[in-house]
Amino acid sequence: MYLKSTRYPVRFISFVTIIIGMLSSPCAMAAGSVSEKLVVYSVNYPLAYFARRIGGEHVDVHLPVPAGEDPAFWMPDSDTITAYQQADLVLLNGAGYAKWVDRVSLPGRRRVNTSASFRDAYIPVEQSVTHQHGPGGDHSHAGTAFTTWLDFSLAAQHAQSINAAMSRARPAMADVFEANYQKLARDLEKLDREMQRVAGQYADRPMLASHPVYQYLARRYKLNIESVTWEPDVMPDPDEWRMLSRKLQAFPADVMLWERQPLPETRE
Amino acid sequence: MMDSLYIAWRYVTWNRGKSLILIASVTLIAFLPLALQLLLDESEQQLRSRATDTPLLLGAKGSALDLVMNSLYFDDSMPPRIGLDASEQVDASELAYAIPLYMRFRARGFPIVGTSLDYFDFRSLRIGEGRMMTLLGESVIGADVASKLGIGPGDSLVSSPDNLFDIAGVYPLKMKVAGVMERSHGPDDAAVFVDTRTAWIIEGLGHGHQDLARTGDSSVILQKDDDSVTANAKLMQYAEITADNIDSFHFHGDSSIYPLTALIVQANDDKAAALLRGRYQDHDSYQVVRPVDVVDGLLENIFRIKTVIDGVIVIVGLATLLTMVLVFILSLRIRQDEMDTIFRMGCSRMTMARLLLAEIVIIVAASALLCAILLTLVSANSASLVRYLLLS
Repeated sequence: MYLKSTRYPVRFISFVTIIIGMLSSPCAMAAGSVSEKLVVYSVNYPLAYFARRIGGEHVDVHLPVPAGEDPAFWMPDSDTITAYQQADLVLLNGAGYAKWVDRVSLPGRRRVNTSASFRDAYIPVEQSVTHQHGPGGDHSHAGTAFTTWLDFSLAAQHAQSINAAMSRARPAMADVFEANYQKLARDLEKLDREMQRVAGQYADRPMLASHPVYQYLARRYKLNIESVTWEPDVMPDPDEWRMLSRKLQAFPADVMLWERQPLPETRE
Repeated sequence: MMDSLYIAWRYVTWNRGKSLILIASVTLIAFLPLALQLLLDESEQQLRSRATDTPLLLGAKGSALDLVMNSLYFDDSMPPRIGLDASEQVDASELAYAIPLYMRFRARGFPIVGTSLDYFDFRSLRIGEGRMMTLLGESVIGADVASKLGIGPGDSLVSSPDNLFDIAGVYPLKMKVAGVMERSHGPDDAAVFVDTRTAWIIEGLGHGHQDLARTGDSSVILQKDDDSVTANAKLMQYAEITADNIDSFHFHGDSSIYPLTALIVQANDDKAAALLRGRYQDHDSYQVVRPVDVVDGLLENIFRIKTVIDGVIVIVGLATLLTMVLVFILSLRIRQDEMDTIFRMGCSRMTMARLLLAEIVIIVAASALLCAILLTLVSANSASLVRYLLLS
């Protein structure tokens, strides 16, 4: 009514509206691209957890390892590798974790080795057999211990790498990511202190572990750990019991670490 | 005028041989410089566009032209190699990101380009058929490779032996074709792309074999103790990477010196690019070049050669024109009786001049038409002609 009665015809108003609409649409599109969720693929749970804590609602974190599979030794199929290839960020643990990463093609630019900053702190794995064939001379397939996050100070460095990578990928969200990372870092610091307090009660006390995966835990918290290779859901055979008895004579441990509850028969 | 043209037309068609030779001479004289110009324009456009799209290249010290031609156009020139640590250094500088390139091997005549997936994003290459390579040992091929070899996703390609007479040299690797790229009308169409690690496996830096520590076949073991196992020559290395044997593939030696031929360096901005070039200006082992500078230098030389060719064409053209004049003068002498008859029939000298002019017009027009057809053909195929004649 007002438009009709004034000096501006409706056609002119429509024209101005369209022009304003056209001018604002790139801004809206740009805003849309910034608010688009960052698609993050991780190789293990700790990194996925850190990514979720840091990214919050702004990231879409995927850990496509099927239930019951060990992410360290799992091999994804082609479709899953393609999904990793198309992610905005692929979070790798480094230290030789998830060997499949070395056997597939992933985009270098979007791949983040979250332990690269403390590469010098990797623990080499000993007891590997060397072999020789061809002109290359002796070589072994020895690697490094890879459960780095069991040292909570290193876990915080993993988180810091994730924070930096996410901020590079979404600079507009850097402040949000940094604030979330600070909260996570404080939690990890608290856990580190708590772990040091608990581990202090076991200082120099021989401990056994069901798998050789506690190297970083032992180093950080000064624990005296030796390992066997026992599965929690499998009853060890007589040979393994005999080997344990021999080991206990030289290494009198009365505590054993398991990644989950062992069978009741094994415990007894 | 139409009458003169008709009589000239009858004369030209009657003396077919002479007319065809004249038409061919005039056509060639016009066509050659124009076609050359077309091809040079196209080659300049092709060379420059790819060079302009590639901001910086890092390679070993040596010929910058070899580095650019090998890295951008996958030609046979083999620049000295650099180590993988060069890539790590660029990434660590946080000024730029490096895309590795390793081009040494061929498969059925086509270059095998070892690179990372970032290359496909960088060149905006898309998969047309199948999927991107996922596992070691897989490849994606350009559209020309697929059409010329008649292969597609699911087929296999075998890398060519490094040297036919070097029986201890590089083993051929059977590579599965995972996908075919969409046509990009560039050198990528005629390339076989693999992961750099697949190229290193072809090189022999990585390999797969049965587990020596667990094998039940004692005939492959030369010596074994608690710490080491030595295999003999009977140990078979896998010539194809499959889902069953991929876990056995491993690399030996210091990975920082694994070879590359070049790095495509994507600087964060102009300032970062300038800083990076400054850092490598006096480097002992590496050089950073702007491909567009190298290509401009190359084009300058091509255009210098073109000036010489133009001069030759002008001289040949003049000689042809003089020959044409001679042909017309001689034909006038031969046609003296014919001219006398026309004169006696009452035609003026002007009419006779018009008749001769009409003959020249018909020959020049026919030559122009033929020249236009040939130029249209060259123009339509200039991209592939340039790739075949100049860039292949």
